[in-house]
Amino acid sequence: MTFSQAVPAISATDQPRARRKVGAAALWWLSDSGGAILFAGCLALVLQGWVSGTMSNATLTVLLAGIVASGMLRAGAQGMAGIAGQRQAIGIKQNLRTRLLAALLPTGLVRGRLIGEDLHVVVDDVEAYEGLIARFEPLKLAAVLSPLLIACVVAFASWVSALIMIATLIPFGVGMAFAGLAGKAEAERQLQALSRLSGLFVDRVATLPVILSFGAEDRVTRQIGEAAREVASRTMQVLRIAFLSSAVLEFFAALCVALIAVYCGFSLLGLLPFPAPEALTLGRAFFALALAPEFYLGMRRMAAAYHDKQQGEAADASIAEALGKAESRPGPDPVPASCVVQNLAVVNLEVAYADTRIGPFTALWEGPGLHAVAGPTGVGKSSLLHALIGMAPDMAGTVLLNGAPVAPVSLVERVGWAGQKPLLLPGTLEDNLKLGGGVDADLLPLIEACGLSDLLRERGMHLAIDPRGSGLSGGERRRIGLVRAIASGRPILLLDEPTADLDAVTARKVIDLIARTARDRLVIAATHDARLVAQSASVMTLS
Amino acid sequence: MIEQLLQDASRRQRRATGVAILLAVLAAVAGVGLLAVSGWFLTGAAIAGASGVAAARGFNYLLPSAGIRAFAIVRTLGRYGERLFSHRAAFFALADVRPALFARLAAAEPEAVFSRPSGQVAAQLGSDVDALEDSVVRRVTLPGALAGGVTALVACLFAGLWSGVALGVGLAGMRLVSRTLTPKLIAGPVHRRADAVTRLKSAYAEYAACAVEISAYGLVPQIVEAMAPDVEELEASRLAIVNAEATTQGLQLILAALTVAGVLVLAKGGAALAAAAALAGAAGAEAWSGLTRTDVQRPRVDDAMTRLEDMASLPARAPQHAELEQLSAEPVTLEADGRECVVQPGERVLITGASGAGKSRILGTILGLRSDAPQRVFVGEAEVRELGLETLRRVFGNAPQDASLIAGTVADNLRLARQGVTEAQMWEALKVACLADTVRALPHGLDQWLGADGARLSGGQRKRLSVARALLSGRPWLVLDEPSEGLDSVTEQELAKNLDRWLEDTRTGLILVSHRQGLHSLTGASFTL
Repeated sequence: MTFSQAVPAISATDQPRARRKVGAAALWWLSDSGGAILFAGCLALVLQGWVSGTMSNATLTVLLAGIVASGMLRAGAQGMAGIAGQRQAIGIKQNLRTRLLAALLPTGLVRGRLIGEDLHVVVDDVEAYEGLIARFEPLKLAAVLSPLLIACVVAFASWVSALIMIATLIPFGVGMAFAGLAGKAEAERQLQALSRLSGLFVDRVATLPVILSFGAEDRVTRQIGEAAREVASRTMQVLRIAFLSSAVLEFFAALCVALIAVYCGFSLLGLLPFPAPEALTLGRAFFALALAPEFYLGMRRMAAAYHDKQQGEAADASIAEALGKAESRPGPDPVPASCVVQNLAVVNLEVAYADTRIGPFTALWEGPGLHAVAGPTGVGKSSLLHALIGMAPDMAGTVLLNGAPVAPVSLVERVGWAGQKPLLLPGTLEDNLKLGGGVDADLLPLIEACGLSDLLRERGMHLAIDPRGSGLSGGERRRIGLVRAIASGRPILLLDEPTADLDAVTARKVIDLIARTARDRLVIAATHDARLVAQSASVMTLS
Repeated sequence: MIEQLLQDASRRQRRATGVAILLAVLAAVAGVGLLAVSGWFLTGAAIAGASGVAAARGFNYLLPSAGIRAFAIVRTLGRYGERLFSHRAAFFALADVRPALFARLAAAEPEAVFSRPSGQVAAQLGSDVDALEDSVVRRVTLPGALAGGVTALVACLFAGLWSGVALGVGLAGMRLVSRTLTPKLIAGPVHRRADAVTRLKSAYAEYAACAVEISAYGLVPQIVEAMAPDVEELEASRLAIVNAEATTQGLQLILAALTVAGVLVLAKGGAALAAAAALAGAAGAEAWSGLTRTDVQRPRVDDAMTRLEDMASLPARAPQHAELEQLSAEPVTLEADGRECVVQPGERVLITGASGAGKSRILGTILGLRSDAPQRVFVGEAEVRELGLETLRRVFGNAPQDASLIAGTVADNLRLARQGVTEAQMWEALKVACLADTVRALPHGLDQWLGADGARLSGGQRKRLSVARALLSGRPWLVLDEPSEGLDSVTEQELAKNLDRWLEDTRTGLILVSHRQGLHSLTGASFTL
């Protein structure tokens, strides 16, 4: 029986509900165009009034106030767009992080990934994903809607100008599509070079001791320089295309302004080489001209957020991959709580890590009773305990409960675990002791029995625990894990070096407690403590 | 120090930076000019058109309409070129900063370097150097913004002195507000966010080490709750950054609008010039407000600079001992608890001791990579700690316990040993290390890519590659830490035989740590810790 599975691909962004709400930030970006329209309108009216000489001072004041108000409107709209986008992203990041924690935290050992790799996904990738939701998505929507809005409003003043705007959009679209196609492949090559470079940094810094001891640092420095320059030129390849598409954008934005200025100017002069399609006034013409740069602004903003998009998509892929691997594992098919544990056995159980294989192990542990797994450090005692509940990347062989084969992962909810470095969570000592369940368990006798009562007398059951700098010694921490496992009331207890870090007197107490507990439960302890081994019903010695 | 590195690197990109500045100035002038001339042309045309056919025919439209087209083209090409050249200058300058920083790191006292987590150092070479990008691009942004502002100022002066003054005051006000307010608003949240990220990462690492309990007791909800305060702090500070950016950029927009209104009110000399001044003012202020981005980035750049300064200013280690040649011919003396063991050049010694007795520690001290071994070791009369890494690495060839292979090919790893290793020498060393057949069987032989830490090889093969590398270094002494770990006893015997002959032929001394009996035949003396 093997326990490895295939990994189906899923996307981290399967969140339609979140997608729909992106509108808020996009709407704020649209109201920024509203501010631009107010500015253009006021400016056009001031000039119109000036030229015709019919403007009262009161009107002028109102129009100037309008210009200032347009600045405020734009300031508010752009600010709110940023904030709305960020708020949107916060919700999505929150969900994503919770989902990642639930998927990755309990399965790190099973997937055989380094904690650092998972940590990068949970923290850094989620942060990098933010820009896609907070900035790029709203800007993308606004980039489609705001030119339409501007063209519609301009059409009221000068439909020919609006037509000029729309007409410049067509060749622009073609140019962008072309640049986008060429850019994708380059961007992928650049991302690869970039990750190779950061891999090179990690590797060369980690192997710095041997590099130094062979005096090879000059050669390695040269190599890093070459790799860094390669990434720089790859990045420039990508940017050349990105800038080219920006230039296409700029060109059509400038062309749009120039065409509207020339058309309006000649129309006002009455010198158009064709019959005037509409009657223009200075106000109308100026309004169209002032809005011409705004027509392309939305798209220019989207192009500027290109980096957010690229980073966000890379993070999305990495998150999806991690989730895919973690969530595709079958959940435990729990052994019913009513099932009485008579015995647990392994037959030819082998555990494989990246480059080592441990086992095969064959053993039968009768319950209730205390059983020891002994052997020198590093021989695989902890790995065997982990494998019993499926916490290993790859394993072969059979685990039997009461003589019937069982998937190891199904045992997880029937097992109380006391490991080398037990979990501490912020909260009181009591909360921490009851993390394994056993809310009704009477903790005091257990605490007394394992010699933690001094701690209790000094600092009380409500002693606040801070996992960082808990003020607890290694031995105290270990015994908290033991009390937690016993209090959980689980029928199988797996203990990893329960008497390490303890002085002889305390170790004696803990051994007695374990022996008492083993009268009605199946206890398996990995240990090299001879006194604990002496109390055991069976000893399995690994070598 | 890091300032200096950055400046040296930027100097090499002088030409690209110069071109970028020129283009940025052209683009900014053309951008402001385009709007100013358009506004002037349009209003002038309207006035002329309204004054009758004669005035319209007399209006010189050729020059402004040609100007509009020219400005449009110059602005487009200028911006494209500015971006291209300023980024090229920035990326290639930073590409030079990275190896320069690595060189400083590698030239420092090893203990000062190894006390830092290697992941953190790698991140600094990556992301902290990336963060400096803005400080390099800034050299181009500033002249561009200035040129835009000055062009707008000239356009405003056409509409009268007071119009110009209004613009000048407005632009100065925008800068003043941004420079004083932005760092105050941004710096706090940026630091809070960085701290929250650090706390989240350490919390995750802490909890992930307890995966079994989390899984067995179903504690994910509790963990999510325990991490909630840091997550909230992270998101709150991120939102505060966005808020601060919105405030600073919003103030720029409001001040720009006030400036344009002021320019319009004070404009003299007719509607056409007023229109030109107003549009030029708006365009100039927009270019000008781009400088706010630099103010927003500044706290991040400053933080990165501080962290990198710490790396760049590591003092260089002591130079090598004057009488290196002579030292190679001196005996090595191990000394502990009054016991002494003298090993003559070309002789061999086995260091023994229980696990945890500090065998790897004394080897690290002999190699000059650390200095914390309680025992004393002499080369001739000099204690190894006085000699330092520069000298010791020319005396001892190292094959560490963890093999420490670099990510690269077999040959890359072997070439690390010294400059100018030939292929024939590589095969020879691999043969002695009992690895020649294995390498020959690899699809690409010596050029086989091994992955990070020799992932393609087994533990024992990695060890032997590391031994072959140490053989190639050609040092008078070989320091081997558990070289036969993970080997079957037949191969181990062969390795012992090969090493014995090689040491004899090359008259190389051996300092060996091995708990396996198979290699003990190699050594005569033994020294117990």
